[in-house]
Amino acid sequence: MEEIIPSLRNMLKQAIEHKVDENNLKITLIVKKEVKGPLAEPDEVITMFQMLGGLKEEIPMEINIDNKAQKINIKFQTKEDLNKIRAIINTIWDNTVDLLEEFIAGDLTRLKDIPDF
Amino acid sequence: MTDPNAIENNPFKELGEIPEKKYHDGYKISSTYIPMRDGIKIATTICLPKVLSSSEKLPTLLVQTRYWRAMELRIPFRWILDDVISSTPNPEIYTSRGYAIVYTDVRGTGASEGTRPHPWYVDEIKDGADVVDWIIFQPWSDGNVVSNGISYSGICSEFFALNNHPAVKAIMPGHAMWDAYIDIAFPGGCYDWKFMEIWSFFGKNLDKNNPKVFKQLLPVVWLIAKGVKPVDSDKDLKILIGALNQHKSNKYVYEMTHDKNYRDEPLPDGTKIIDTCIYPHKEELEKTRVPILAWCSWLDSGYVDVIIHRFANLDNPQIAILGDWNHGASYPANQFFPERVKVTPSPKERINAWINFFDKCVKGNGIQGKTLYYYTMVEEKWKKTILWPPKGQKMQRWYLSENNSLSRTLPRIKSSADSYEINFRATTGRNNRWWTLLGLPIIYENRKKIDEKLLTYTSAPLEEDLEITGHTIVNLYISSTHEDNAVYVYLEDIDEKGNVTYITDGQLRVIHRKISTDKPPYKIFIPYHTYNEEDAQPLTPGEIAELKFGLHATSVVIRKNHRIRIAIAGHDKDTFYRYPSKGRPTIKIERNEKFASYIDLPIIKKEI
Repeated sequence: MEEIIPSLRNMLKQAIEHKVDENNLKITLIVKKEVKGPLAEPDEVITMFQMLGGLKEEIPMEINIDNKAQKINIKFQTKEDLNKIRAIINTIWDNTVDLLEEFIAGDLTRLKDIPDF
Repeated sequence: MTDPNAIENNPFKELGEIPEKKYHDGYKISSTYIPMRDGIKIATTICLPKVLSSSEKLPTLLVQTRYWRAMELRIPFRWILDDVISSTPNPEIYTSRGYAIVYTDVRGTGASEGTRPHPWYVDEIKDGADVVDWIIFQPWSDGNVVSNGISYSGICSEFFALNNHPAVKAIMPGHAMWDAYIDIAFPGGCYDWKFMEIWSFFGKNLDKNNPKVFKQLLPVVWLIAKGVKPVDSDKDLKILIGALNQHKSNKYVYEMTHDKNYRDEPLPDGTKIIDTCIYPHKEELEKTRVPILAWCSWLDSGYVDVIIHRFANLDNPQIAILGDWNHGASYPANQFFPERVKVTPSPKERINAWINFFDKCVKGNGIQGKTLYYYTMVEEKWKKTILWPPKGQKMQRWYLSENNSLSRTLPRIKSSADSYEINFRATTGRNNRWWTLLGLPIIYENRKKIDEKLLTYTSAPLEEDLEITGHTIVNLYISSTHEDNAVYVYLEDIDEKGNVTYITDGQLRVIHRKISTDKPPYKIFIPYHTYNEEDAQPLTPGEIAELKFGLHATSVVIRKNHRIRIAIAGHDKDTFYRYPSKGRPTIKIERNEKFASYIDLPIIKKEI
């Protein structure tokens, strides 16, 4: 696992693209690497934001998964909500690798901030 | 971490250079259930070079685990990583060098069916042979199988060899066990209850497919994994759900052992601790002639002694390696260089050595004879020996003397002793040689403060460097206010500034002190205690008794002007069970002409 970490940041950024459609209050995550099996379940997407992105509050969002196109469409009710998730997505991959690096180094300071899953 | 510049005798260099890659296109993963002789389905994940013609045949590396052969990853990891990402080594390293890899969840664990009364029980071991039968029938198999693993899987690989299957050409137990009673569960007869409890809790939750338990123990794994990987064909998860139901009947070692005291005490299901041990199978293992590459660390639990016991007792062709890292070699553990952050050899260097070993056994002439490579800390040099103890080893006696000193001179005083009320708050913390069995780093830090809670004996500054390699023997004349207690002895180095560095330790529960005149079940290098019930000898309060036992082996140089210290405790609260469970004994250690307590250090005399 440790061998992968140095390249993981780039792997995540290269494999996952996101598009924001402010007019339609929509964010689309596009997974560019071919995924074996289903892309995700909607609750997994929320868990990902909570575990790796630091999402603390409940944000109403409608999540549709297009397994064939490997796209996750997230629809929001307000622009404020969209911006909150946009901010999370902008930093989530760096945060993910930072967390992994900290945990590998034995620094578990941020572990308590992450809910149990 | 070993010094990267320590080249001479370095096993990771001597075992050969990086084998050439034969396959360059990555690997492909598939999974299946392999039916065993009794119909139980064993979950199996197979990694093969991505591009492999139908005429190409490969040897197979078999890894049997109880920690999930593959993981169902959380997103986003599932999008970019493989199910076997937590496997060490990365499968690509083997597949690119022309090996197939087969990972299995052992019976009663992961996605496999079945139940387990205890680890490494007979059906689990026999499954290895059934899996090999399946492997050699596959179109990509060249009919050769090797097996490796670290910790549980390493032990599996050694048990696996007992099947004496003709296809098995080599095994590589890393950080593995030999004698479950003293190596891990009851070192010196003292119950390693924290590890046993946590390991059982961990195993129970793994077998329930409950990843939440990873959070505190293995946060990296917890972050990336949501459970065990189901087998591809089990689309509706029916088999997995059925398997998890069967796992509910599993038994776990803590429940079986936490109220036990003796090696020969029957466990609840009628089995004994010996049933989980390798040593009773010595002759069967020798008959296989299977070559062994075994590796471990001076600082890993009682597993350090396993390397020495296997080396001294088994005639199989053998390469044995003892370095200075934690359990599994993910962190450096040389207490003299706490600033080091990376393990040397790197995982890649280690794996190259492993592949070269397997190549020799599968495609070459194998290995001949036995060689033990060991790293001497502080001197920061690799050494090798074909004998144990190594050539030049002599015991040097140091007496416990007045004013808490350690002296080469036999005390002449008629009557003198030191009293010590056992401090039950004494601890080596949760990053010690026992907790590392959970994969944790080993950190003893400066023991200057901790030693204030203990009874210590310190030498004068040494006049020259002193190499200690082997098992230190402790001989104490002790009396107590109670019938039972434990004694922990720490061997330490004190530098010119007074910094105290842990070297090794040993422990003995006093009721087990009888030195047996029977032949030990295998060759050992310390006094033989049976730990059997009939040999138990509670102390008579106030009466002097002799306690003679060994510390876990080490190899270190104590520098000129440094001092040697032994620190004596009666408890290590974050690791071991409390003896006695109630009360606060005061022990008295004699140090006089009649009852001269001492330690024998295994020093290496340099040849001139």
